[in-house]
Amino acid sequence: MMKRKILRYIRIATMWLVALIWILPFVGVFMTAIRPMEEILDGWWNFEKFNLTFENFSKALTHPTASLAQGTKNSLIVAIPATVIPLLIATMAGYGFSRYKFPSKKLTFILIIITLALPQQMIAVPVFQLLNAFGLVDRYLGLILIHSAWGIPWITFFMRNFFSTIPANIEEAARIDGASDFLVFFRIIFPLALPGIASAAALQFTWVWSDFFLALISVYSPEKLLATQRIPLMRGVYHVDWGLLAAGAILVLVVPLTVYVILQKQYVKGMVGWSLK
Amino acid sequence: MAQVLLENVTKIYDNKVVAVKDANLVVEDKEFVVLLGPSGCGKTTTLRMIAGLEEITKGTIKIDGRVVNDVEPKDRDIAMVFQNYALYPHMTVYQNMAFGLKLRKYPKDEIDRRVKEAAKILGIEELLDRKPKQLSGGQRQRVAVGRAIVRNPKVFLFDEPLSNLDAKLRVQMRAELKKLHSRLQATIVYVTHDQVEAMTMADKIVIMKDGVIQQIGDPHQIYNKPANIFVAGFIGSPAMNFIKAKIVRGEGGLWVQASGFKVKLVKEHEDLLANYVDKDVIFGIRPENVFDKVFALAPSSENTISAQVDIVEPLGNATILHLRSGEDSIVASVDPRTKAKEGMEMDVVFDMSTIHIFDPETEKAII
Repeated sequence: MMKRKILRYIRIATMWLVALIWILPFVGVFMTAIRPMEEILDGWWNFEKFNLTFENFSKALTHPTASLAQGTKNSLIVAIPATVIPLLIATMAGYGFSRYKFPSKKLTFILIIITLALPQQMIAVPVFQLLNAFGLVDRYLGLILIHSAWGIPWITFFMRNFFSTIPANIEEAARIDGASDFLVFFRIIFPLALPGIASAAALQFTWVWSDFFLALISVYSPEKLLATQRIPLMRGVYHVDWGLLAAGAILVLVVPLTVYVILQKQYVKGMVGWSLK
Repeated sequence: MAQVLLENVTKIYDNKVVAVKDANLVVEDKEFVVLLGPSGCGKTTTLRMIAGLEEITKGTIKIDGRVVNDVEPKDRDIAMVFQNYALYPHMTVYQNMAFGLKLRKYPKDEIDRRVKEAAKILGIEELLDRKPKQLSGGQRQRVAVGRAIVRNPKVFLFDEPLSNLDAKLRVQMRAELKKLHSRLQATIVYVTHDQVEAMTMADKIVIMKDGVIQQIGDPHQIYNKPANIFVAGFIGSPAMNFIKAKIVRGEGGLWVQASGFKVKLVKEHEDLLANYVDKDVIFGIRPENVFDKVFALAPSSENTISAQVDIVEPLGNATILHLRSGEDSIVASVDPRTKAKEGMEMDVVFDMSTIHIFDPETEKAII
């Protein structure tokens, strides 16, 4: 009995330790962001002086060359459609793969899985050429399309697996009750698939939001730069304002964090989409 | 309400597996028909073809005189109750039951009236605002039935609706479904692998095996006049005894000669077996037609055999004896007052008017 209790404490202590190590860098960034520069020069872990300030945040939001307010707006303009479009297409595709029989279904699905293994660096050049050919360079539409194309395969895979967990009988019952394919999908399947859709949405949104690489190759006009692209610009040539950088990083982080918190309950339920059958 | 007609209905999956072969069946108006068979016998596939959930490879299905082969499930005017209930998890009980009516654009007050009436019949009025998750298995089953009856369809299809319920509830729901049938005057096709369900509820039983209909008849016929060895063995518990035997001519007429006993056939059976004299047959007798000699009505040297008692299983209302005679084992369900003890020799009496004789090659019943 005693032994079991001790083991339990050890387990809890280990978990706390891991969690602390995990969160420590973030605490550092946070402390840097909310304190004046001179307090953190000797390390943020010195607390002899502690003055709370939000100056760094307002400076980041209204930065003369890399305003994060504008960056956040730009990022939203990209991230929202780049989440909705692939989600819509891939959810229907995933449904098709999980429910319908059609020729070369297996082959098509394998091709989709293979694209998941492609590294982004490999497609950078061809994608840029493609954007150029269609006149989409330095336009949000181009970036939205790349993100959509990049998201569709994994969401298709994810949603197909999720749909497989919904008993087909429910759809058959609806079909007998008088629903067309379209109604079955939107009135029965869609609400049941919400946890899956929500977690796919959270992941895709976070992914698009935190992307730096694809944005780098497709958007370059200073006023069009996304939030992630603006943070490096806040670093001066001769002087680095760590407080400003930290505040900027936190501001960029807040949006996907909020999305995750809102969808958290669904997100956990939706994780079954990763199980492969 | 309507008649359902299957003509040479065949289902072949992916051009290979034959799930149902040349099924011919008439389900009369207001009839309660049970499709019975072991798993994989094609009974569910048959039901799903009637529902329109499976395409028909060959043959025709008519509902109320109309060929429905290419008619969508929703346009067949049928309702189906699934084994796992298949309720819509995100809707309340009320919404579950109203869904079909809503899609068919019934006026709101009509939907309300029908849902409440069905809820009353099924005793689920106080559950209407709950979600399926908050219901017990029996309650979910009722909702599934309710969803079917609000639509007042021509035909009800049930796919093993009771097999997910516990034994006690199953007996109760069985009686309720039977009551519901007479109340609704509905045409019902019901699939089950449970022979008790089939025997207790059906007007007509259809026994299937390996995609082929073995016999169609009322419970009485199926039990007393099985068409072949499969039907004879599938219906009845404990199962019928099958013993390898030979028909021989002997003292006073024809006899059945087995490895360990010889019994005389009754007069009316003799004519039917005239062509089988000196040929091998399968002799069948149900356990309840084997009696302890002490309690038998008319024991004689012509119908009494001596056997060794292997196992005695008292059930209270009867005692099951596992007997051995020659190379054959015989199961008997005898009067519980029997004095039979394991290891002893005893005399048992066959009721020869109830026996069955099967052709060993075709497995078809001769008697």
